[in-house]
Amino acid sequence: MDDQNKIVISSSTKYLARVRKYIEVKANETGADADTINQIVMSVDEACTNVIKYAHHYDTNKKIKIEVFHSKKQFKVSITYEGLEFDPNNVENPDMEEYFAKCKVGGLGIPMMKKFMNKIEYKCGSPNVNYLTLTKSLS
Amino acid sequence: MEEFNLQETNKGDISILYLDGFLDAHTSSELEKAFEKLISEKRHNVVVNFQKLSYISSAGLGVFMAYIETMRNNAGDIKLCSMSDKIYNVFDMLGFPILFEIYKEEQTALDKFH
Repeated sequence: MDDQNKIVISSSTKYLARVRKYIEVKANETGADADTINQIVMSVDEACTNVIKYAHHYDTNKKIKIEVFHSKKQFKVSITYEGLEFDPNNVENPDMEEYFAKCKVGGLGIPMMKKFMNKIEYKCGSPNVNYLTLTKSLS
Repeated sequence: MEEFNLQETNKGDISILYLDGFLDAHTSSELEKAFEKLISEKRHNVVVNFQKLSYISSAGLGVFMAYIETMRNNAGDIKLCSMSDKIYNVFDMLGFPILFEIYKEEQTALDKFH
């Protein structure tokens, strides 16, 4: 189910490319530069990937709604999904020197989101409905 | 166009992986399989050519982290080359050049093995 400012996907990594394309098209409408658009696209990809893996455990019966709101000043993406409470703001960024010294794997998606976006807001509604909003300021 | 395509070629004891398309949580398992195959064949000298890769997410980055130790523990390495600025910026932003050698030219990466 799609409309101009919203897409809904089944919870599967095979739809990530479609989400990225949708976000890229919407971000392009703002006239933002290529780096900014890529940062937004990557952040939404990482957020949806986390939902698919950790909230939905690859259950394709689950849905993810992605809505876009933008103005000249900011680009906001709201991701709505069912699942257990999880606030990415509570995840500490890894010490990258230790990360590389110990050849760790994984755990970079949330740090990337935090680095690329200006604000990450999480709200848990009921029943088990989560709202994750990523905001990027546009210069 | 396929979402992700991977081709392998050998130059002596060095294997070169050519990545094409989007490397994300959906496609990264294909790269994992390629590394598993190389390990099973005891080919531990690997150059990864990014020239045709247009997108990488943290899932793609994770593949390189997952195999670098195995390759180095077997006297090999994973050297990266031919990245666009967009792809290099992702590696650089997270500090990957601390652990990985990244070269502009494939030939330079190949030469560094010997």
